Amino acid sequence: MSTAKFDELIHPPTRLAIISLLAASEWADFKFIRDEVKLSDSALSKQLTTLETAGYVEIRKGFVGKRPRTSAKLTALGRTAFVAHVAALQEIVERSGASVIPQ
Amino acid sequence: MNTAPDEASAALAQIRDHQERVIRAALIPNWYWWAIGVGMVAIGAAADTRRPVVLGVVIPIVALGMVGLTIAMILGVGRGARIKSSELLGGRGALLIVASDWLIVGLTIGTAFALRALRVPEPATIATAAGALVLVILGPALSRKLNKIMMDNRAGLPK
Repeated sequence: MSTAKFDELIHPPTRLAIISLLAASEWADFKFIRDEVKLSDSALSKQLTTLETAGYVEIRKGFVGKRPRTSAKLTALGRTAFVAHVAALQEIVERSGASVIPQ
Repeated sequence: MNTAPDEASAALAQIRDHQERVIRAALIPNWYWWAIGVGMVAIGAAADTRRPVVLGVVIPIVALGMVGLTIAMILGVGRGARIKSSELLGGRGALLIVASDWLIVGLTIGTAFALRALRVPEPATIATAAGALVLVILGPALSRKLNKIMMDNRAGLPK
């Protein structure tokens, strides 16, 4: 059982969306995240840099053939923070008497 | 921190939605099962000719084709994000994949030998067609089941 801990860094919708995608992935391509989260390249770069600085995300830059490819993955610290944040959200919902399981 | 229950609920829904998108993107496409089924029947038909030249040509071509299609399918499915397959599938998912493989292989080989023993003409073609039929029915069902297992195993969310 994880400890619930609300994380202000993760909670904004854009960062929560990015972290949610990464939590289900080994790694995710920059373009995939950008398209799923519907952000511009620069906005996504900024958010990823914030998450990387916090130690939640690892950014990998490489090449596929001659084309540059950037991908991101959630670190162990990021995963722990995400799970704790989800638990905190569930606690908030449960305290209100609502169900956390979608109907 | 002062988050309203409605906001927390919306955040949980957002998390669910984004994780489902990653998992759905990893679903094996239906064309793959049909393509592998056609390849199986081609091998069966070649085996029934009992002509070494036909076997020597058809089997390597079909085998290469299957490998190529499998690589194309994996690259297509994995484009953008590679799911945490070991964590999301777990032992149950892995067992289901292995059991499905053995079921189709066992059914195909068993049927072929049974038909041959009964002296039914074209036993390998009929057996591989039966195996292929099971594959195109079972394959998409297996994909959906694996998808559900992965949804259930998502990190941190209520089951």
